Amino acid sequence: MALKVDSGDRLVTRPMLILFAVLVSLPFWIEAVGLYQYLGIEIVVWMIYALGFNLLLGYTGLPSFGHGAYFGVGAYAFGLIQLRVVESLWLGLIAGILAAMAAGAAVAGLISHRRGIYYALMTIACGQVFWFTSVKWRSVTGGEDGLLNVARPTIDLGILSVSLRDNTALYYLAVAMLGVTVIGLWRVVHSRFGKALQAIKQNEMRAGFVGYNVWLYKYLVFTLSAGIAGLAGSLFAMAQKSAYPDVMSLHSAGLVVMMTLIGGGFVSFWGPVVGTAVFFLARDLLGAFTETWLLWYGLMFMGIILFKPEGIVGAWQDLVRRRRSAGTAEGTGFLPRLRG
Amino acid sequence: MDFILHLAPHLLNGLSLGFLFALIALGFMLIIGVMELINLAHGSLFALGAYVAMVVIAPSAPWWGALGKWYLAQPLGPRYVLALVVAPALIAVVGMLLEVCLRRTYGKDPLYGLLFTFGAAMVIEELIRIVWGSAEKFLQVPQAINGAFLFGGLIYSKYRFFSAGFALALIWLVWLFLECTPYGAMIKAGAHDSEMVRALGINLTRLRLYVFGFGTALAAFAGIIIAPIWGLRPHVGVDAVIPAFLIIVLGGVGSFWGAVLAGVLVGLAVALTAVYVSEWSLLSMYLLLIVVVTFRARGLFGKKSILEV
Repeated sequence: MALKVDSGDRLVTRPMLILFAVLVSLPFWIEAVGLYQYLGIEIVVWMIYALGFNLLLGYTGLPSFGHGAYFGVGAYAFGLIQLRVVESLWLGLIAGILAAMAAGAAVAGLISHRRGIYYALMTIACGQVFWFTSVKWRSVTGGEDGLLNVARPTIDLGILSVSLRDNTALYYLAVAMLGVTVIGLWRVVHSRFGKALQAIKQNEMRAGFVGYNVWLYKYLVFTLSAGIAGLAGSLFAMAQKSAYPDVMSLHSAGLVVMMTLIGGGFVSFWGPVVGTAVFFLARDLLGAFTETWLLWYGLMFMGIILFKPEGIVGAWQDLVRRRRSAGTAEGTGFLPRLRG
Repeated sequence: MDFILHLAPHLLNGLSLGFLFALIALGFMLIIGVMELINLAHGSLFALGAYVAMVVIAPSAPWWGALGKWYLAQPLGPRYVLALVVAPALIAVVGMLLEVCLRRTYGKDPLYGLLFTFGAAMVIEELIRIVWGSAEKFLQVPQAINGAFLFGGLIYSKYRFFSAGFALALIWLVWLFLECTPYGAMIKAGAHDSEMVRALGINLTRLRLYVFGFGTALAAFAGIIIAPIWGLRPHVGVDAVIPAFLIIVLGGVGSFWGAVLAGVLVGLAVALTAVYVSEWSLLSMYLLLIVVVTFRARGLFGKKSILEV
């Protein structure tokens, strides 16, 4: 279950370049393969969300089952800034991130001394508090309907300004944010901080004995992860032109867990990215054939948990390893399966 | 005195709600205690049990011609009792199937069991949606326990009392089963030290299978009893599983009376806050949990369990 640590010292790695090449070129071919522009935005937003989530689940081993709350808080904060204060992209994004971090920090303060299943249960309870509040606090959140008509503001970079009304423009903003998130998270997980998180995942007590302040690390990583969810939520509010309680529900919080795991978040940095793409493609491709695609997706998830908890990337790594060891066995003859 | 008289019906209401919450948590607690597994599908099986009962009471598809007609002509009472037997039995079979799949996750991180049952919850909810649709359904109850009666100038629903009484009776029966039968002793021993139980020659695999079946059957019972009050929607399971785990954490994992007490506390908290801020009453149970668990890490009567590692 060790995470791959090679090329950790590089700022930009080959998988990153491949990912960005695919994502940047996406608007030019996505309609040709029968999909639509908006899908790209959704995928990229959820990739940001899932990557931030995997910092908790995959790297620190903390199962947060109420993560939709911070995604939702980010979306509401962004929407409220646009509707009540001023139509500004950067102010909205900063507000979304900070509000989600504040919510995350408050929850982390309550749960960071916990582990395992208790941790999961407490995150569900805290997430439900946010969900419930968003449904009932009508004067601020607009109740079940949520905030409607959230503006997509204009990016103002001094020399040029781009309107985000167009889906392609918003898509490229989301890709840029994903780029910042990926590079930033890659640095985080390969920093001393990231190493400490992985130590906590492997054995929390031992990490404590070695001298790490485990509580503080858990507190900080939860806050950071909530902030990234808030960023994704802000982008989502723009994409949907609204913010509504549904994204905070247990169901939606569970989807991000499923995406992360199906992709292979336990064993790879890229697990959440793969899982998100698979989820949305499954939704649109299976959804075209059958109304019941969520049933099949759920069954697939159950199967993966039972037979291959390392997910798609885990299966791929096994395949590569097997092929490599087979190659060595043929090449040298007398050192079979050394790497297996 | 006026104050107490004013609150008395709400206290009564809270108490009956509390017994229902405890009833939901009962099967969940049994499974967590013996198998150290969070069954997130508990709520979906609760819902499935109620849907199956609805079909048993009034099958809509034209089946077996004359026999079906004869069956539907029977009074509601016997059909209801039949549903109370058949639906939990069927749900127990579903639960046992899940347990057989879950065997692969034993000995691994308990998170896998939680994730698997989460997936199962989603699948069951989708199945319900496919078979019965998303619209709200109603579970019929016999005339004898339906309707309202007047007491002390206030109107009470008969069914509320019946359901609370049924919940109390079931809690008592499960307690008797655990305390006074050899099977109960095995279950309690299995919860305490499963390796030792195996060493003593008890078939632990079979014990776990039966406990899971029993726990899910209890979920179905709770579903049938509570569905007439809450209504039946495919996602009613979420409304049930969250109080269940909340009560277990609040009462402390592995404590029978802790769970019952926590159920009553949650019921009272919800009912009493409803008097003052009816919109927000459900929030009180989360706040109660967060406050209690902040000060008592293992809940009210919890012991150290493997779930903390």
